[in-house]
Amino acid sequence: MARVAVEAGKIEPVSMPLSLRQPFRDAWFELAALLGGVILWEVLGWSLAMPWLPPFSKILEALVQFVQSGVILGNVATSLEGLVIGFTISLFVGLFVGALMGRYRRVEKALDVYVNALLISPAMIFAPIFFAIFGLSGAVRIAVIVMYSLFVIIMNTATAIRNVDPALVEMASSFGANERQIFLRVLLPASLPLVFAGIRLGMGRAVKGMINAEMLIAMVGLGALAQRYGSQFEAAKVFAIALVVLIIALVGNWLVQAVENRLTRWAD
Amino acid sequence: MIQIRGLSKEFLGRDGADTGVLAIDSLNFEVRDNEFLTVIGPSGCGKTTLLRIIAGLIPFDEGEVQIDDVPVTGPGADRAVVFQNFALLPWADVLTNVAFGLEIRGASKSECEATAMRLVKLVGLEGFERRLPKELSGGMQQRVGLARALAVNPQILLMDEPFGALDEQTRRLLQEQLLRIWDQERKTVMFITHSMEEAVLLGDRVMLMTPRPGRVKEIIDVPLKRPRGQETEKSTTFVEIKEYLWENLRSMQVLDQRGEA
Amino acid sequence: MIPKTDKQRRNLSDWSLRICVFVLFALSWQLSAQFMKNMLIPTFTETINGFIQLVFVTGRIWRPLYISNQALVLGYILSVAIAIPLGLAAGRVKWIDRILNPYIGVFLAIPIAPLIPIAITALGLGLASRVAIVFLFTFVFIAVNTRAGVRNVDPGLIEMAKSFGASERQIWHRIVIPGAVPAIFAGLRIGLGRAVAGMVIVELLLVASGLGRLLLEFAGRLQAEFVFATVLVVIVEALLLLSVMRFAEQKVAPWAHDSSIG
Repeated sequence: MARVAVEAGKIEPVSMPLSLRQPFRDAWFELAALLGGVILWEVLGWSLAMPWLPPFSKILEALVQFVQSGVILGNVATSLEGLVIGFTISLFVGLFVGALMGRYRRVEKALDVYVNALLISPAMIFAPIFFAIFGLSGAVRIAVIVMYSLFVIIMNTATAIRNVDPALVEMASSFGANERQIFLRVLLPASLPLVFAGIRLGMGRAVKGMINAEMLIAMVGLGALAQRYGSQFEAAKVFAIALVVLIIALVGNWLVQAVENRLTRWAD
Repeated sequence: MIQIRGLSKEFLGRDGADTGVLAIDSLNFEVRDNEFLTVIGPSGCGKTTLLRIIAGLIPFDEGEVQIDDVPVTGPGADRAVVFQNFALLPWADVLTNVAFGLEIRGASKSECEATAMRLVKLVGLEGFERRLPKELSGGMQQRVGLARALAVNPQILLMDEPFGALDEQTRRLLQEQLLRIWDQERKTVMFITHSMEEAVLLGDRVMLMTPRPGRVKEIIDVPLKRPRGQETEKSTTFVEIKEYLWENLRSMQVLDQRGEA
Repeated sequence: MIPKTDKQRRNLSDWSLRICVFVLFALSWQLSAQFMKNMLIPTFTETINGFIQLVFVTGRIWRPLYISNQALVLGYILSVAIAIPLGLAAGRVKWIDRILNPYIGVFLAIPIAPLIPIAITALGLGLASRVAIVFLFTFVFIAVNTRAGVRNVDPGLIEMAKSFGASERQIWHRIVIPGAVPAIFAGLRIGLGRAVAGMVIVELLLVASGLGRLLLEFAGRLQAEFVFATVLVVIVEALLLLSVMRFAEQKVAPWAHDSSIG
């Protein structure tokens, strides 16, 4: 059954290529479809001979070269470092604020307008503001990543807690549970599926924020590499970087999904 | 003993004070110690509201609700509820679910485990201790709900149409099981139902309620001998009382429909 | 206006809460900015003043805004024109869906920004590449929501129509399209948000002749209040556009309950 996530207050059935939950046969078919596209790309790349559309094999070549020469390692490490710090901040703040909003109606009503506004605003527009506040330091990167991922986590967490089956809360009340007990023993576990969906969305967004910030600052990380190769018109290498970032996004998503599966085995 | 005097409860409309609904109006009755009282009435007669008031889950507007002369102000250790839709924690196994009420009230881990094991056995779910609710049938889930309520050793069992979400065959099996358990561990039971057979089969007395607003029409004695079972349903007394209930309920429905037309 | 009903009373108290939060925010901004005396961080009042200047007094913002939004509008229209038919096809025809599905997944997950240098190589530094980038940001979200809308049409209704002998064309017109409209509109709204985000990234990374250039100019002249004010203008634009979209969505499909993607 499709897992649902809430973003901007909406529900989203999440789908990834080669989803881990699909039956084997579907996976093979999708793989074949992708392969077909790759072949098409290869053919077009050679026949059209456009500088901006290198054959797919060239892209793979660049990728292999990256790995072999180790040039990519430092940049990946820097990028991931920023990603981890930023995402962790978003996680802690997001879960906390979201829980408060989900639990206390006053907090929800006080903040919902702003959380929603910040969620639908283009996060990157805050970059100039972050530059003003933090100067040209790594903090700008982190701030952008937080800006990208924080609000979707808040929104999902709040909705998750608010939508816990009231029958369960009533049952716990009937046994004399106090506020704290209801929160820890009913609201928290019951909200996990939806909270995790928000975390997955946040992860995807955080990766985008990471690369966008890095391309803007153009000093460290994969984004800087992409800018450099771009200015050198090395299309194959640029595509290869995009591929690397895609892989990072997929791995991140897979990790969150793995934790989620472990913790929400009881959900259907 | 549950004492209800002049109990009224109004639900306010969402947009203001003028669209309130009087759910129950000036109820007066008593539930005797260790008696099995079944409550029956058409939709809208406030029986679930009544049960939740006695459970201490919602406040009331007028009257008195007392248990052994002590007014009810909230949920208490003397009462436990069994819910129509089971209300089991989906992430916890059977044993943890059964022990839930005990844990909330601060019992020690060993006590929780011991009591839970005993009750799992009592309701016939031995071997299923580690299963999750989604792996159980409806009837089994409700047995967990019953075990959970019994685990806190309440004086009073409040059951809100506990078998309403189950198919008829499961319902009959659970009725038999409930009677057996109740024979062993006598408690005061208030049992809400929509089914006339169930009301007469299980109850020492049947409280008949009328709708809009909810009022007690009559409390009928059920002088059938215990232990009861399949054969009880064939006795003339059973059939008579059941027919009596149906006549009353039917006329209530007709009145209701006429009122709506 | 004295609140009469409970609902109105609740509304009023909600809004006073929100205003309190805003006042708190504005106050702390104002005080900390004044205290820090940082050339790059304007106070709240300075920013508001800058906003009024740019928008109403000097009107400095309008031409760059217009230039930047060209990419937004054209990219969005292009996305809608391509994504909706794509989404409809994927929703209705199984094999198309299965072929497209992995690509849609890739486009949802892949960050578009690294592809900007590619777009520049292909289309130069002008409007064309900006439109292309906005397109890349937007189209997949519209397509995916359109597809979901079509897929979520109750198959029972389609079966019912078939039982009355409806042709494929009739099924499209009378069941599928009306059924999918709410989701399509949700997709249009989300796509708009994405298009704005794309426009912003284009402006910041390409620094053509619109808002990006303006920001750089203000920053270079240390006119912090105008930098912040420009940011505010973009946020206001985004919120306005999306609110209007929301409103249209409600009007077109008031019965819909939300299951949008993105």
